[in-house]
Amino acid sequence: MSHDLNLLAGAYALDALSPEEREQFQAHLAECPECTDEVRGMQRTAAELSQITAVEPPPQLREDVLRGISQVRPLPPVVDNVIALRRAKLSRSVWQGLAAACLVLAVAAGGWGYTQHRNASRASSANPVAAAVSSLANQPNADLVVSSTALSHGSGTVIWAKQEHKVVLIGRDMPALPAGKTYQLWMLPETGKAVSAGVFQPDAAGNVAYQTDGDLSGYVKMGVSVEPAGGSAQPTPSTVQLLNI
Amino acid sequence: MTSMRSEREPSPLAAAGSATEADHEVTLEDLLARSARGDERAFAALYDRTASRVYGMVHRVVRDAAQSAEVTQDIYLEIWRTAARFDATKSAVLPYLLMVAHRRAVDRVRSAQASVVRDDKYERLHEERPFDSVAETVQSRLDGQRVRKVLDGLTEAQREAISLAYFGGYTHSEVAELLALPLGTVKTRIRDGLIRMRDALGVTA
Repeated sequence: MSHDLNLLAGAYALDALSPEEREQFQAHLAECPECTDEVRGMQRTAAELSQITAVEPPPQLREDVLRGISQVRPLPPVVDNVIALRRAKLSRSVWQGLAAACLVLAVAAGGWGYTQHRNASRASSANPVAAAVSSLANQPNADLVVSSTALSHGSGTVIWAKQEHKVVLIGRDMPALPAGKTYQLWMLPETGKAVSAGVFQPDAAGNVAYQTDGDLSGYVKMGVSVEPAGGSAQPTPSTVQLLNI
Repeated sequence: MTSMRSEREPSPLAAAGSATEADHEVTLEDLLARSARGDERAFAALYDRTASRVYGMVHRVVRDAAQSAEVTQDIYLEIWRTAARFDATKSAVLPYLLMVAHRRAVDRVRSAQASVVRDDKYERLHEERPFDSVAETVQSRLDGQRVRKVLDGLTEAQREAISLAYFGGYTHSEVAELLALPLGTVKTRIRDGLIRMRDALGVTA
């Protein structure tokens, strides 16, 4: 086995790929069992490197960590949704198809992202976001990037349709905000200013289905912040939570 | 405090079943699974058995002690929060934890030090060979010495590429630029070097 992408196994294991390369290689991993085995061995080897730099952390750190976790509830396992499909060892095209199908199902059922949270009371035709995702997912060549992130409360899944320059945020269990406050979505470059991707509010159940036009090429993360109603020019730093893309 | 322990994996002791946190026959996988159910003592044990590895690596990449502690705390909180989503079929706990940690550490140096990266690169390349300074910190550690010996056994070219990528936190493209080499050459050096280390350390997939 020797192909171009295989050469990236070492750099991947050392975490030395750019985010774009990493994504590309991870997609390849799903299709290449040999690479998967090789990467696993190399990741173990890379982990050994940390023996060289091992050093006792400050004692205070242990206290801080343990105090920190006592205030945070671990997330529930992922049972049945897009993430689970993504984790399965399926080819990229297959999981994309499944993810798309899953989205369509979720959309048709009106329950966003998490099929166990179906709520048949909302029809996709009544929800412009649902309609948009549905139409994206129905395009056989839609190049969708799906990435989920746990937030301090709830979780956010970013779906980016690369060709169509659409970004969808699916949020779950996001707390309602006080009157006069709004959530704002941001595109974050590696350096420089954040670019607003608009404001949104979760529904009464904490679900978010927000769609906007946007091209995430050149951005490394998305962010969610809490801002005064109408949104801000730049995110309020203390409120920003990062979303992987 | 047992955090100096090595967590070489797979551990020959790893197969055994339930025990207390003090019992090292409990695997990191067990501890993480218990953490996912909210067991803070299990997580404390996980911390004790991995923190020197995680903190040390973060500190090597980030350099500043206060920031390293901050990043390390973030890492463990993330591991705690997402414990139930860890996929044991894909990776063992320690490589996973270190991968998360490395990514966080690199994120930190990139966002915090973006403006000084150029100078820093120059300094690192010309005044401080990453491997040499790393070597000084580990003389007394048996496990560190063992891995270091293996790293020493690589060609200088392989060792340099791997050290810059892992301890320096540079992407392979940046490593290529730093060493004025074609990217393909760097890819090959990193991969060949890791394969050689893997075989020398007897690491299995």
